Amino acid sequence: MMQLDLTRVDYLQVGITCQKTMQVLPLTSKTQKIVVGDNDGQLQCFGLRKGQVQTLFQASKKNQISRVVLGGQIGGVRDRIFTSAGTEVNAFTKKGKNFLTFDTGITEPVQSIYVEGTDLLACGNFGFNHYCDCKESSYFLSSDKINDVICLPREKWNGLTPVLACQDRVLRVLQGSDVLYEAEVPGPPVVVELFGNNGGDEGNEILYGTSDGRIGLMQIGTLAPVHRWELPNMKRAGGVLCLDSYDITADGVLDLLVGRDDGQVEVYSYDEANEPVFRYCYTGSESITSVKGGVVAAAGFDEIVCANYAGWVFALTTEQLVKEVGLQKAAPDPVVTAKISNLKSELEGLQKQVSDERAKYHESAHSTKTVSAVPFFPINDKFVLNKDDASYSLSLELQSPIDNILLQSDVPVDLLDIEKNSAVVSYSACNPEDGNFLLATYRCQANTTRLEMKIRSIEGQYGTLQVYVTPRIQPKTCQLKQYPIKPLSLHQRIHAFDENRPHNTLTLKGQFSQAEVHSWLTFCLPEIPERPPAMDPAVFYFASTFLDTQLLCLYRKGEAVFKSDNISSISILKDVLSKEATKKKIRLDISFDINDDSVTHTLRLIHPKLEEQLLLAKKVQLIDALKELQVNEPDLSFMAPEYQEILKESEKLKAEFKRQPSHLERLYGMITDLYIDKFKFKGQNVKSKVPALLELLDTYELDSLIAFFENSA
Amino acid sequence: MLVPIFTLKLNHKVVPQTVAVGKYDGRHPALTCATTGGKVLVHSPHTKRQEYNQDISLLNINQQITSLAAGRLDPEADGDLLVVGSPTNILVYDINNNRDVFYKDCPDGANTVIIGMLGSFTSPLTLVGGNCSIQGYNKLGEDTFWTVTGDNVRSLCLADFDGDGMNELIVGSEDYDIRIFREDEIIAEMTETEVITNLCRLNEYRFGYALSNGTVGVYDGSIRAWRIKSKNRAVTTHGFDLNGDGVLELITGWSNGKIDARSDKTGEVIFKDNFDHSIAGIVQADYRLDSNAKGDQLICVSVEGEVKGFNPATGEVGTTLMNTNVEQETIRELSLRKQNLMLELKNYAENSKLALSGEAAVLAAALSGDLGRKNGAQGKGGFPGLKGLMPGGNSSGFDTSGGGGDGALRPGQTGLIAGQSSGGAPMGPGGQLALAGLLGSPGHSLIPGGQSQSGEFPNFKLGASSLGESGRTMGMIPANTQLETSILVNPGNQNVPPFVELKIATTNDTIIRAALIFAEGIFEGESHVIHPSAAAVSNSVSVPLIPPKDVPVDLHIKAMIGQKNSSHFHVFELTRELPRFSMFVLVDNEQPDPRSSVHFTLNERPQRAFMWLNQNFLLSQNLVCEGDLHVTFFSLRGSGLLRIRMSQAGQFAIHTDDMDLAGNVIQSLAEFLKIEDLQTIVDFPVETETLKQILIKVDELHRVRTKLTAEMADHSNLIRSMVVRAEDARIMGDMKSMRRGYMELSDLNRDLVAGYNIRCNNHQELVLGLKQINQIIQKASRVRVGKYKNQVVTLCRTAIKNNNTSSLFKIINTGVA
Repeated sequence: MMQLDLTRVDYLQVGITCQKTMQVLPLTSKTQKIVVGDNDGQLQCFGLRKGQVQTLFQASKKNQISRVVLGGQIGGVRDRIFTSAGTEVNAFTKKGKNFLTFDTGITEPVQSIYVEGTDLLACGNFGFNHYCDCKESSYFLSSDKINDVICLPREKWNGLTPVLACQDRVLRVLQGSDVLYEAEVPGPPVVVELFGNNGGDEGNEILYGTSDGRIGLMQIGTLAPVHRWELPNMKRAGGVLCLDSYDITADGVLDLLVGRDDGQVEVYSYDEANEPVFRYCYTGSESITSVKGGVVAAAGFDEIVCANYAGWVFALTTEQLVKEVGLQKAAPDPVVTAKISNLKSELEGLQKQVSDERAKYHESAHSTKTVSAVPFFPINDKFVLNKDDASYSLSLELQSPIDNILLQSDVPVDLLDIEKNSAVVSYSACNPEDGNFLLATYRCQANTTRLEMKIRSIEGQYGTLQVYVTPRIQPKTCQLKQYPIKPLSLHQRIHAFDENRPHNTLTLKGQFSQAEVHSWLTFCLPEIPERPPAMDPAVFYFASTFLDTQLLCLYRKGEAVFKSDNISSISILKDVLSKEATKKKIRLDISFDINDDSVTHTLRLIHPKLEEQLLLAKKVQLIDALKELQVNEPDLSFMAPEYQEILKESEKLKAEFKRQPSHLERLYGMITDLYIDKFKFKGQNVKSKVPALLELLDTYELDSLIAFFENSA
Repeated sequence: MLVPIFTLKLNHKVVPQTVAVGKYDGRHPALTCATTGGKVLVHSPHTKRQEYNQDISLLNINQQITSLAAGRLDPEADGDLLVVGSPTNILVYDINNNRDVFYKDCPDGANTVIIGMLGSFTSPLTLVGGNCSIQGYNKLGEDTFWTVTGDNVRSLCLADFDGDGMNELIVGSEDYDIRIFREDEIIAEMTETEVITNLCRLNEYRFGYALSNGTVGVYDGSIRAWRIKSKNRAVTTHGFDLNGDGVLELITGWSNGKIDARSDKTGEVIFKDNFDHSIAGIVQADYRLDSNAKGDQLICVSVEGEVKGFNPATGEVGTTLMNTNVEQETIRELSLRKQNLMLELKNYAENSKLALSGEAAVLAAALSGDLGRKNGAQGKGGFPGLKGLMPGGNSSGFDTSGGGGDGALRPGQTGLIAGQSSGGAPMGPGGQLALAGLLGSPGHSLIPGGQSQSGEFPNFKLGASSLGESGRTMGMIPANTQLETSILVNPGNQNVPPFVELKIATTNDTIIRAALIFAEGIFEGESHVIHPSAAAVSNSVSVPLIPPKDVPVDLHIKAMIGQKNSSHFHVFELTRELPRFSMFVLVDNEQPDPRSSVHFTLNERPQRAFMWLNQNFLLSQNLVCEGDLHVTFFSLRGSGLLRIRMSQAGQFAIHTDDMDLAGNVIQSLAEFLKIEDLQTIVDFPVETETLKQILIKVDELHRVRTKLTAEMADHSNLIRSMVVRAEDARIMGDMKSMRRGYMELSDLNRDLVAGYNIRCNNHQELVLGLKQINQIIQKASRVRVGKYKNQVVTLCRTAIKNNNTSSLFKIINTGVA
């Protein structure tokens, strides 16, 4: 397969950009034009001539532009530009004529739009509106946040079939104002696009990307969805923010372009079985908010046009810009030289202006009456639970370079190092009496605008993680961001519940409203929508990312029922909820039904994980010794096959071991909690027996462990 | 773009920092490194050994290999010799002729070895850095060079430091010091912030260094040219001209597998590459023996045995080693700067907009008539010895930004920049000058946003009500807010150990949400954070500092100032220096003198000594000269009293029981007064007694050791005969005797193992004893300055060699034999 060799070229910089706010207009002459909208409300359409940016038109809106999409006649060319800003949707011709300004009239700002012919789909955070010729024709209220919207192409599908990507891990397929069905996807979907830009042969295949970095293709059948393929996020890359289909490899088949929030742009081709194959990866330092394929700079050269969070519009082009590969230097391009000198003089002017202002600012400090107030700076942050290793990823991104970050937590959490971070981390001694369980500073390298951190929480211990971000901009300020560490922080929403497991049940009764109990749940569990659901009773299912145990929450006015096969989850909920209710001075009747089989069941669930970890640890321990033998012995055939296997797979084993630091300790912790919780419900305190339990775990055997749990009453 | 011209896999693990390349037959280079199991791996692609037809051969050393070097120790020999260092000995081996050249016991261990020319020595030496000592052996194994340093030697390097045409020895040790030896005279001493793990020579007077905390830098003479810090650790450094400009670059191999080449002048990254595993070593050699090659290649080896070789670039002007488009890079960088300036402008614009509305609020508040009082109070208030600085002073940039090979760096000793650029005011002794030059006007500390003083300012509340919410969330503060700092010694109490207290406070009701202090060497990491609980935030915080060593420390303080409950804060940055002897508190002169003392005469007036005292000790107010100097300090580190006396005639006396401290005082004093040579008379009865004890103990240990060695030899003879006997019995079929024989053998084996453990302990104690002796000699030398300092080391060495204990004590006391 041909090696893709792409070179980055920067075109221009606009303000901070939202997801999917850059589009490449269809080809009209030799090259295509780019249109981009930013958070300052500026819409800019430009093309390139001889490497110079030529602006075609600009338009400015008061509100930040949240989406830029293209529309056109059904089956025709999509060459009209639609933007959403605030509650308004605007449409422009490719020449820049603002031929439509439409106020949707919805109460919240429009977050995502899609245009199909004369149909406009506009979504706020929860509401979906469908306008036909600017007249509202249907409406749907989603139970969780809508991240993106699309509809199947009309030329192949008669009716309008909108698809909403919702935060609660489902794609909702609508028909009119009703849900046709919900299609579960492996992570919270953030972006949906038509496969191959037209939905495939049948016009019903859509690509989705999730915030935990997965990509998949789903066929939206008339009755049920069909999962075609799914790309797991093996490399722990960032979340997907944008997708496109474009033939960058010039092999006649459309390729998949992916933009991620950790700055990666990836290219996948499809193999004979139409499964994606990784081809190319570019690693930038800022979130890629939009990605599109096109021919922009020079005719005949395909490029991937990207926009990133900081507002850079750049391309990865197939054109060889450095003419001679190697150490020889290409002759300086006069255009570029002019560009540089332009920039330089511009900078000089700015520098002067800034020093004037700086002096003025300092002057103001002599005055007794003035105040100093520096405006907020936008922070693009994400705090998500990773399913694979049951830890939280925190990413922070600024428009300007970060100077330092201070992390503070009032609950015990572990801060894990991330290889690709270049910032120097330093842990400070802290005193739990001051409410500090973690104090760490990250001192960043120059030009670091994005930083990722990994945090491991312990279920049952809850509080707040506070992050103070200081950018390298004068006057120096810092901003505080808070992230709750919830009591059941390692749980994740699911959409199915296995009734056959042995369950423990906790029932709360009292004078509380559904909204109240909803707010308690929001306090306890992640991924609960802000708004109380309209269902009565409301039901949510969760699964522990660490142990795969499940939890059911069912509540209505005056009653809440929790069911879980893990007694620890129930115990935590009981403690936290009774505390919350006491705070609100609400009397609760708490009753529980403990199923002793559930403990054995949970132990059996843990068993394979624990065994695998123990085996892995043992194997890793042996590697060095075996390696030494290998050095001494030219022929290793005398070794037991298992040892030979270890040697052969040593790299893989080591990598796996490294990927799950202190996994074993966490499992031990869970088992200990389980043990304590089991007897807590029986009114016994067994803390004194924990050392005996730990001793038993050292020589782990499932049966003896189960026996220990059962006999030590 | 520079790409490797060869890559190969050794398929063996490589012990970090034990990679060398030698031409053992005089012509063909062979990569040599230590691998697991006490073996040395020699990769000789050009001299394949016929019998195996493979290019890797292994030498069994059967000991942990701590260091390795190859070089032309014997100029008359055919080729290079290999030196292998272990914790107990060094072996010099001639690979070509397969013979040991010599084998020497090094009870101090061989942490690092190098081969090269030193000073005026006419033949090359093998220099071995061990436990506080450095020994140099010539080709015959005679130790022709010996000196001591303050702690375990971790890195050595030969370079012409002063341009006299002869090599000086640069030594990095575990006490964070880099010392330059002109033969056995120390001509320069630089204090770093961590253990110096690597040193390498660069151009002219420059040399590169690496610390165990991830810092890499370059010294130009005794002045640090630049340094960077990364979260990864630099495993190895090497000077190599990679871009062909005739100047050596600093090549660093990192623990995360990265290698980078940095310009020796600026630290700018000119090339980088990645391995999958930590780097083990970087060497250079003409490894391909390619007649077209322009010279040596740079050879990088990872711990997993991957090897990459790079040819240097051709050296044409403007060549770039990285696959980057220079113009694009420039444009990007300029645009970035533009963006940052624009953002700053936006900040000012927004600020003045808000400030205007804020002014209205303040005016309203002024009606309450309380303003005057506040003003007055503030103008004069404050701590003794304070510095205040507004946000918006130039960035203080804690000095080691950059690193990891990512091109970010600050050349120069930026630590100072904060102080200089922000105020422009000179720093007086003791930090007495208020640095608030930028914005010093006293003023009003009302907060538009309606804080707790509701009773006092009713009018104000009304006026500011419209501003309340936005003011709070934006973290609005009065423009004239200042930050005051004070450093005091807190003697502690029964529960709290004594410490130095850094107090940071704002001049009004604004609160300090958190304070970050970046400083080197006094915290576990590089920073310390004070984050009071939400209920306890106030306008001041206090930071306990316990500097572990008597060195001056720069404290880079970042304080987050704002309102209660706000989520946006102003960051005030300032730098303060903690004086060298900050862990001492001034006490009265009534207590009796400590038993030990140092006496000497200075050609100076006591006034100068007072100046030194004021600058180097934390005093609540400056001491003034009134005739003779007579002050007493109490050490907070528990080493008792420190009394300093100086008469008008220049008779100087330091009374303390801590010899190390006396040395520190004298070195600092000598530096301040620019004294080149100073001889002193010392009397440290305790220290002398300790030395006596140690000498006796070492003697005894030596005896035990000899005895044990003899025993072991006996045992091994016995074993040999027993094995023969038992095997005989087996062949004869006399199973009973065989069984008995092997039982006995097993018993004997147990004895041997036990004996070995005893020997191990014995050895450890011996090493400890020797280290202590070396340290006492080092301490004794540090109470002298210049040539007398070196004299003590040389004389002590001779005395120990001749086993002349009485003379040793005399040397320590008087400095002469």
